[in-house]
Parts: sequence; structure tokens; C-alpha cells
Amino acid sequence: MHIELRVYTGLEKYVGVRHGEMTTVAIDGTLTIADLLHRFDIPPAEVTSALVNGRHKELDYRLQDKDRVSLFPPVGGG
Amino acid sequence: MSTLSPLQEKRYHRNTQLPGVGDEGQLKLLQSSVLVVGAGGLGSPAAYYLAAAGIGRLGIADGDVVELSNLQRQILHFTADIGRPKVMSAADKLVALNPDCHVVTHHCAVTAENAADMVSQYDLVIDATDNFPSRFVLNKACLVTNKPFIHAAVLSMAGRVMTILPNQGPCLRCVFREPPAPSAKTTFELGVLGATPGLAACIQASEAIKYLLGLGDLLVNRLLIFDALAMSFEVVEVLRDTDCPDCGSGAQI
Ligand SMILES: [Zn+2]
Repeated sequence: MHIELRVYTGLEKYVGVRHGEMTTVAIDGTLTIADLLHRFDIPPAEVTSALVNGRHKELDYRLQDKDRVSLFPPVGGG
Repeated sequence: MSTLSPLQEKRYHRNTQLPGVGDEGQLKLLQSSVLVVGAGGLGSPAAYYLAAAGIGRLGIADGDVVELSNLQRQILHFTADIGRPKVMSAADKLVALNPDCHVVTHHCAVTAENAADMVSQYDLVIDATDNFPSRFVLNKACLVTNKPFIHAAVLSMAGRVMTILPNQGPCLRCVFREPPAPSAKTTFELGVLGATPGLAACIQASEAIKYLLGLGDLLVNRLLIFDALAMSFEVVEVLRDTDCPDCGSGAQI
């Protein structure tokens, strides 16, 4: 199975993509969002929100085939 | 006030020419009220454009005073304003820009105690704060009082905007559940280009006016996220979460 991953605002360097560019990730067996971060060496502290198909999910969520995952780092200034 | 004065016809000509605005829309803006929370990098341009557009009553809430390091981005404040309360500095400029705009100053931080009362006095709220605790307080207050809440946040050369209509789409905590870790870097460490909050705030002001006039499509169920370094603007679908602590089925409202 595979998922679609998009990352934003500084996380691009870990995944090797441009801002918001979709990349397909192949998955064997079960993979949580935390495992996904580990696979790309993304420090969990750099992800403040993970959305799957538009909805907030915790890091222990088990990814399903064709899930659309978006990862956002902390951005809080004004 | 049922018609525009000759001076107002002239001042707002380029507003009233817009599709769906006309004299009627302009009169509606003159009878509208908006609360801008934060008179900094986001609040300065947002308040400027709202005052210029002829919002009749504009609340500005901020407990801080103007500092030298604010001036590279907080364009409501001038060098001579250093040391003055930001709300006073802001009010001077906004009233000078447009005497039609009645500016109400709230020289205080927004807290869980005062937020709902403050928010309830306005038609719409602009999130121009610089921290998540304040944003979460405002998110809740706007849900409780059923006020539209236009969120933005920036860092470095990146930012995002999202419009929250209570019960019609996700709230801030549907999408951003917890504040960033205390170790997360801020604009103090990573910097922020002044035009970055300017970009986000111009989108906020556009959303506010669209909401007040019932025009177009709002950023509801959509998060606009941009990176000015890549100059990339993306729209991400965001959905309401029934487990949301603020607006979900178990929320205490
Ligand atoms: Zn919510």
C-alpha cells in the first residue's frame, strides 16, 4: 500500500521535496505517523500538527492505504 | 446613516465599484465592527486596511508598548512612538487615515477572563497575536460567542491563514491541537521578514471584508499556507474533528 505525503514550512529538507509537493510513500505492514517521521529523520518536536485526509491525528495513528498526510511545523509568530 | 455623504462617495469610490459592494455594501462596512487582537506585525497591516476600507468600529487589543525592534515589521508604529502603548500609537494612525473609523483601544492582554466579553462587542475577530495561548483563548471565546475568527501565524518567510466560522468548519484546535513545544523557535531566534505578516494580514483583511459583505468563498475547511522564500501558496483541506476539545462533541461550551 502507499500514502501521499505533503510537508510544509521547513520540513521539506527532510523529505527532499518542495513546499507542499506531494510524494508517494510505499508502506509494508503497519506504519504509524511516528514511524513515518522516523523514516524521514524528522524530529517529532518539529511537527506540531499532522493531518490525515484533512483531520487531525495523533502520532500513534496507523496509516491506511491512500491516506493523504500533511505535516506542519510550529509556526506561531505574529 | 442611510446614504453615503458626498465625501464618502469620493473616499470609497473604488470600494463601491467592486462587484457586489456598491453604496449598500459600503454602508454595511461603516456599520460593522471588527476586533483586531494584537497591534504588531499582523495587526498593523490588517488594521490599516480595515480602517481604510471604512470599517465603522475597529477595536485594537494589545497590552504592549512600542519597541525599537518592532519597527521593521509593525508598520502602524513610528520611531517617535517607542515607549508608547501600541494601542494608542495604532489609534492615532488609524483615525488620521480615516475619521469615519471609530477606534476602540483595549490596552490589555487577552485572557480567559476577559476574552468572551471583549469579543462579544464585535462582529468579527482577527487573530493578530504572536502566541498560541492567546490564540486558544480567542478560539474558545469566538466559539462561545459565535463570532467569526480569522487566524494567521507567521515565522521567518512563511505563514498561514484560516477562517473559522463556528459550527460551519474546523476551529483552530481541530487543526492545531496543542501549542508548539516550549523549545520551538520563534521570530526572535529565526527572524521574520516584515512583508511576511503583511501578506498574511492582507489575506485576513480580505477575508474579514468578504465575510461582512457576504462575498466570495472564505478559507473555511481550507488552510492557506505559504512560503515566501519558495513563493509557493498552497491550500490544504482541513476538516472539523468530532474529538476537538474546543468544538467537538465532548467540548464544554
Ligand atoms: Zn474544533
